[in-house]
Amino acid sequence: MRPSSWRQFVAILRKDIVMELRTFEMLTSMTLYTLLTMVIYQIAFTAAGGGLDVRLVTPGLIWVAFVFTSMLGLNRSFVHEKDQGVIEAILLSPIDRPVIFLAKAAGNLLFLTIVEAVTIPVFVFLFVLSRGGLGGPAWMLVVALFGASVGMAGVGTLLATISVNTKGRDFILALMFMPLMYPLLTAAVQATSIAILGGVDAVPAFWRWMAWVGGYDAIMVLAAYGLYEFVIGA
Amino acid sequence: MTYALLALGGLLTTAAFVMAFTYAPVALLDDGMRPDISFQIFYFHVPVAEASFLVFAVAAVYCVRFLLKKDRILDTKARIAMEVTLLFVILTMVTGDLWTRARWNVWWEWEPRLTTYFLMTLLVIGYFVVRNSVDDEERRATYAAVFGSLAFLSAPISFTITRVMNNVGNHPVVFGGNAGLGTTPQALVTFIIAQVGMLALAYSIFQLRMREERASERLEVVKISLGG
Amino acid sequence: MAHATSDTPALQVEGLTRQFGLRRGLDEVSFEVPQGAFLSIFGPNGAGKTTLLRVLTTLLPPSKGTAKVNGLDVQADAVELRAMIGFISHNPLLYPDLTAEENLRFFADMYGVPDPEARIRELLVDVELDHRRLDVVRTFSRGMLQRLSIARALLHHPKVIFLDEPYSGLDPHAMDILDNLIAQVRAEHTFVMVSHDLDKGLELCSHALILANGKVVSVQPASEIDHDLFSATYRSTVGSGVS
Repeated sequence: MRPSSWRQFVAILRKDIVMELRTFEMLTSMTLYTLLTMVIYQIAFTAAGGGLDVRLVTPGLIWVAFVFTSMLGLNRSFVHEKDQGVIEAILLSPIDRPVIFLAKAAGNLLFLTIVEAVTIPVFVFLFVLSRGGLGGPAWMLVVALFGASVGMAGVGTLLATISVNTKGRDFILALMFMPLMYPLLTAAVQATSIAILGGVDAVPAFWRWMAWVGGYDAIMVLAAYGLYEFVIGA
Repeated sequence: MTYALLALGGLLTTAAFVMAFTYAPVALLDDGMRPDISFQIFYFHVPVAEASFLVFAVAAVYCVRFLLKKDRILDTKARIAMEVTLLFVILTMVTGDLWTRARWNVWWEWEPRLTTYFLMTLLVIGYFVVRNSVDDEERRATYAAVFGSLAFLSAPISFTITRVMNNVGNHPVVFGGNAGLGTTPQALVTFIIAQVGMLALAYSIFQLRMREERASERLEVVKISLGG
Repeated sequence: MAHATSDTPALQVEGLTRQFGLRRGLDEVSFEVPQGAFLSIFGPNGAGKTTLLRVLTTLLPPSKGTAKVNGLDVQADAVELRAMIGFISHNPLLYPDLTAEENLRFFADMYGVPDPEARIRELLVDVELDHRRLDVVRTFSRGMLQRLSIARALLHHPKVIFLDEPYSGLDPHAMDILDNLIAQVRAEHTFVMVSHDLDKGLELCSHALILANGKVVSVQPASEIDHDLFSATYRSTVGSGVS
């Protein structure tokens, strides 16, 4: 008799949430890290003087912050599994390997979205509202953030499973994660840019970039899903 | 056989190099008067770039085949193909950069192809760093193969999106474009000779490295059987 | 899929070879152990004990040869096989930030255990941790962790239990408790134990296997073992060392 994959999926996801709610390790460090990054940005803006239209560079800066903060979370999420060797016990149970991928990716996506939900209003408040406000509708920002987070969590889950078993851990994760994220970030920054600046043809242009985000998510997350079995079994 | 190919590759690329300056047509600068010698690097740059992408594809195929078969030799082949890729990607970057300097008067341009090649360099170097950070042989091979396949999958996406982003793209289009140069048979012949030579070089470098790997493997086997 | 009857061997290993790279982790390993046996696997570090255990528990595929546990092939019937084996290691394999109950609940879900609450309660009483069930595992002593990990391994009523150096790092008191727990469930299960500790391993086992350099040096029932001769064989293989 095969145990239900859904029950296993829920169990892994719930376990990650319960552990996080008990320690708040990941969410606090990720949120604080993002907020601290904003302080550093402010230094750069001040140095650049009043001539710089901050809204033009904000989209890119938002994603710089989120890429780095997501790597913090991805690393943590597998250190739990690895340090006590529990992943071994999960592998010994009759679970289909892709279920592990889906559950861990869903957890990582959840945590990343929570951090984004907390910090993006601060971003907008600090860097956008005082300089002309949001040009596009707010839903665009939400769609862009979520769409790109799917790809980050999906590919990141695979890469973090690799990096947790290497000698360099976080360094190795960064090395693999960032060049693979390049196309996704490009599209996400463009879409975010439209959300912040608005413009005449904002909506169709926005969806054109979101199509890239969606395409990347589909191809790369599917590939990560397919490759996961090899990685987790090694 | 391999040495013959190596010699052929060397001969053809050298021939193409000489032909580029003697036989192939020389473009004119924008003023339409002075010859644009910098363009001749095209006969080196493009074949190298195409060879690098081809070898990258070969490496990716070995990565996927390794994952399916778990045969160690496929991992070795993937690794050697990645080495050759790294060599050719770096050559592409260097020749490309010489060109940007001569042609656009800048040392670096975030132009789609250059950006993609820069990313490819990082990915291929990343492949080797990942390898070096895993001790267990089988795990190392698996991780490298997974990363190698993902890297290959992402490279074309990076390329296309960078092109869409700055669709101005001032990278010269030689064949099929309106530059007119590629239509002359002299240019085409020079180009084909360079390309064939470059592929022969890539293939023979790969084979020679594999030969070396096999030899050192045999040595290890002997060592093990002596050491018990 | 073959159904296990009482005369299906609990372990049936034939020509099992594990090789990646130039060295063989396991070299043509063959042996058979009947149902209800307690097999102790001895050998120096690097002899292939852990590799053998990982193949038998489906974590590593064989490169050549076959291995069957209760008639189930470790590769072809991996999922069915996983559902009927339990694993106890020197590592407790529990989440430190979850309570005893939450840990067991998690693994009950992994194994699809029916009526998990009742089963968990029953096991917590068995391993004498019922009073600590709502405490986070991080606060447990080494012995308590080991007991809880036994409860984890027994959750789904496994038929074969694998022990990977279960005594390492335990104080004498915790060792006694572990001995008692094994004795309690000894009758209904087949056991496979990997150990460094010759005396402990011989005391418990019904069959003994010595591995060296990935090869089987000796495999025999405990009743036929001459303790001194066995020790000598073991010492000499350990002496031959690992290159």
